[in-house]
Amino acid sequence: MQYLDSGKLGILVTLLIVAFILFNIARAKNRTDLFIRRIPGLNALDDAIGRATEMGRPVLMVPGIGGLDAVSVQAVTIFSNVARTAAQFSTPIRLCCADAAVYTVAQEVIRDVYQQEGVPERMDAQTVQFVSDRQFAFAAGVQGMILREKVAATFLLGAFYAESLIFAESANSIGAIQVAGSTQNTQTPFFIAACDYVLIGDEFYAASAYITRQPVLVGSLLGQDWGKMLIIGSIFAGMLMNSVERNQMVTMTRQESTVEVRGGQESVAEMVPYEGEPRKKNATETTIYRLFHPMYTESMYQIERQPKPEENPEPAPAEGGEVTL
Amino acid sequence: MNLLAYQPTWWTLNPQDNGRYGVLVGVFIAGMVLFFALSKVPHSARRPIVVGVTFLAGLFWVLRYLWPEPIALRENELPNGFVEKTGQWLQTSVPFVSGIAQVVTSFLLGLGMFSLLRVHFTKITRKQKDWQFSVLLLVCMALMIAVGYADWLQREFWIKEKITDDTTTWTNVNVVFNILFEGLLQNMDAAMFSIIAFYIFSAAYRAFRIRSMEATLLMSSALIVMLSLMGAVTSGWNGTIDNMTGSNPANLLNNLKLNELAGWLRNMVQVPALQALEFGVGLGTLAMALRLWLGLERGGVTE
Amino acid sequence: MWKLLADAQKIKREYLFLVLVVSLSATLIGLKKALPQIPDSNSMDLYAVMMTSDPNKPVFIQSDWTNSTRGESRGHFQGLVRSLMATNRKFVFYSVADPQAPQVARDAIRTINQERKKQGLREYKPWDDYLDLGLFPNAENSLNAFSNSIKSAWGGRRAKDSTGRERPVFDSPVLQGVTKIEDCGAYYVVSASNSIDIAIERLGTKVTMGGLVTGVMGPGMLPYYRSGQLKGLTIGLVGVYDLEYMMEHGINTADEAGNIVVKNRTKPEQVIPPVPEGTTFGQGATNNLALHIALTLMILAIALGNVGMIAKKKLEGGTK
Repeated sequence: MQYLDSGKLGILVTLLIVAFILFNIARAKNRTDLFIRRIPGLNALDDAIGRATEMGRPVLMVPGIGGLDAVSVQAVTIFSNVARTAAQFSTPIRLCCADAAVYTVAQEVIRDVYQQEGVPERMDAQTVQFVSDRQFAFAAGVQGMILREKVAATFLLGAFYAESLIFAESANSIGAIQVAGSTQNTQTPFFIAACDYVLIGDEFYAASAYITRQPVLVGSLLGQDWGKMLIIGSIFAGMLMNSVERNQMVTMTRQESTVEVRGGQESVAEMVPYEGEPRKKNATETTIYRLFHPMYTESMYQIERQPKPEENPEPAPAEGGEVTL
Repeated sequence: MNLLAYQPTWWTLNPQDNGRYGVLVGVFIAGMVLFFALSKVPHSARRPIVVGVTFLAGLFWVLRYLWPEPIALRENELPNGFVEKTGQWLQTSVPFVSGIAQVVTSFLLGLGMFSLLRVHFTKITRKQKDWQFSVLLLVCMALMIAVGYADWLQREFWIKEKITDDTTTWTNVNVVFNILFEGLLQNMDAAMFSIIAFYIFSAAYRAFRIRSMEATLLMSSALIVMLSLMGAVTSGWNGTIDNMTGSNPANLLNNLKLNELAGWLRNMVQVPALQALEFGVGLGTLAMALRLWLGLERGGVTE
Repeated sequence: MWKLLADAQKIKREYLFLVLVVSLSATLIGLKKALPQIPDSNSMDLYAVMMTSDPNKPVFIQSDWTNSTRGESRGHFQGLVRSLMATNRKFVFYSVADPQAPQVARDAIRTINQERKKQGLREYKPWDDYLDLGLFPNAENSLNAFSNSIKSAWGGRRAKDSTGRERPVFDSPVLQGVTKIEDCGAYYVVSASNSIDIAIERLGTKVTMGGLVTGVMGPGMLPYYRSGQLKGLTIGLVGVYDLEYMMEHGINTADEAGNIVVKNRTKPEQVIPPVPEGTTFGQGATNNLALHIALTLMILAIALGNVGMIAKKKLEGGTK
């Protein structure tokens, strides 16, 4: 990260939001009265498992096809809660993974859940399984499972792409109750069209706080809300500032040029008095623009540094061209 | 000395040295032993290990994001002072640190394959329903691995000089691999993808109904967008409006042009809503990452 | 009557699928028609970037599509490559997303070269006119490395020169004068995955970036276009035809009869010519017809479903 790439503002805002979250986590540890609005999709989790138990059919869970990141970890965390209820009712589950790392983590988590519930023998090879890491091979594998095993409920939570509708429509065709949520906004409309309950946007991240009501999670949710208020406030402030500034006459303007510094051609910018026809400021002459587009000045290129010793050669070409470590 | 920085290594300097495969096997075995040892760690000691490793791994990326980088550092110059040196060290260490993630992922792929084999062997040995499909899957898997490796070995080592892009220089193995990969796998991928067309069709048929005010709004917007995607319809409709207004750009009726309506829906309704959702998702990811990094979350993955 | 309409709701989805297959198959047998089009403003901006980027600088193409989305992405890629070849711009392509991606891009370029040969136009030669850098695994790391230094990220790559000898890619005429990612004329991402998000995050501030994405990804990309991080954007099948239509007619350019076919009302001063040579209408024109058929069927199906639903309500109301 070079602060000059996008200004220091981004980092400042990130740190501010981090502070909000940590402060609220600390604050929530001693409080039990924090309220989370009703999220129907999450209320439906238990109903769906109950239905599967009555029908004696499995519950299918898919944590998306992304790698091991915050999204899949969150999905596995939600699934651990589902698995706990399922283990209590002896309902079989099928957790299908498209990424080996997610599979390994999910297997450990679900095994722990079954052990904690005192029924480790109910977890078999099919409970958590790796299907394929190729998108459509995975889609075909899971679709086959949905149709063959006639799953009673499906939970599609995580990073989904084109395969989302294949799963959702297949499960819909056999009448499974479906709860879905994707952090990929492009797939949300497909889920809305084909599923019973959909978690939209960050409801997905609110799920574990909603289900477990752990103070740390609820506090973190409150911190996120403070972050949202900050964003809403900055949108309004930006709108006002831009509206005012765009009606002011331009006095200074940014002048970009190429200069020769220490033997190299470098692009630099500076603010110079505006001497053209009187006019109002354009979008690139506002304070907001300057905040996000810092200027490289000539002096930055004039920092004196020691030359690199000659004996450090260029890296030799790697076999097959890939970065070899 | 910058231990993590990208530099010519023994691997890159000795691409033809056969000894490297010996080392690779050694590293592989050492990795497996480490994996095995970690799996035997008592349950109570797992959480500190997971939290500690997660914190260390996260710390690198947090520092990489927050630590300033040297400005305008030329390739033939050394950074000045502690801040610049650390900034450059973090920057040049990225390939090394990312490499660790790739190595770990490769080990885990072995576990994934083990899962696949276990599920399907169980199905076959117990003659469970549709066990024949499992046989087919295992045969295909073995065939693809065998032919894939043979093809790779021929192209990269055994007869590297003889094989070119020209298909007449290919051996039987190359041809079979091409049929399996390009001919079968790729087309099956495309076939799976194209099935979505039918699902979109049936989902739209079911979802766009005038059941409530919201559903009616949704359907009307969908219709406008769908019509605007048809260039012939848009041109015809817009032409009619131009005839009515005498192509006067100031006429209010211009707002009823299909591309204007669809553009308004997209730019004024859809994009702001998506941006708002993105903000929410971004904040959620940040909070989740922070909780994982600092080991604040109990239950699930960090239990 | 109401009963008949109400029964329409019970149509098996398989019959609807059959109608869709049969009507779309008609376009596969080569039914091609250049229907009139009003290109989107984001597509116009992309075409403007394509035709006005510095012709002396190479264009970098991050080609992250595979056969799965060839219906849209191959059209985008071919439109882009045809325009670059017709205007004599050198280019470099690579993928950061999928091992299949470089091969499908190579195949697409080979097809265009064969087409140019038939038309008596100059074939584009690897090494001299374009470079194929293959796959860089892991988009996040690779694009980060490009942002840091393409000299070290691409330094290990080799390609065959015109005499068949393998040489480092930076010796190629395509990369002459290029030392950092900012030295490209323009940077295009032809993508069906989130690799374009990573490209915008890592390189967006350093290059003039254009996006050529699938229809499903379009809504997610529009905020980047609206905020100026993408200088141009073309979406899905309609975007393919938009490009081809502008390659044929230009923007705000009068044809022989004096008519301006594609008008950019928001930028009336911007005059972008059509491409000077080669094919313009390709996959976009064929698939655009298929899109018209599919959308018409979909609208009919939705209308049928709604009429059926109303009819059912009427019948139930009548029997009560």
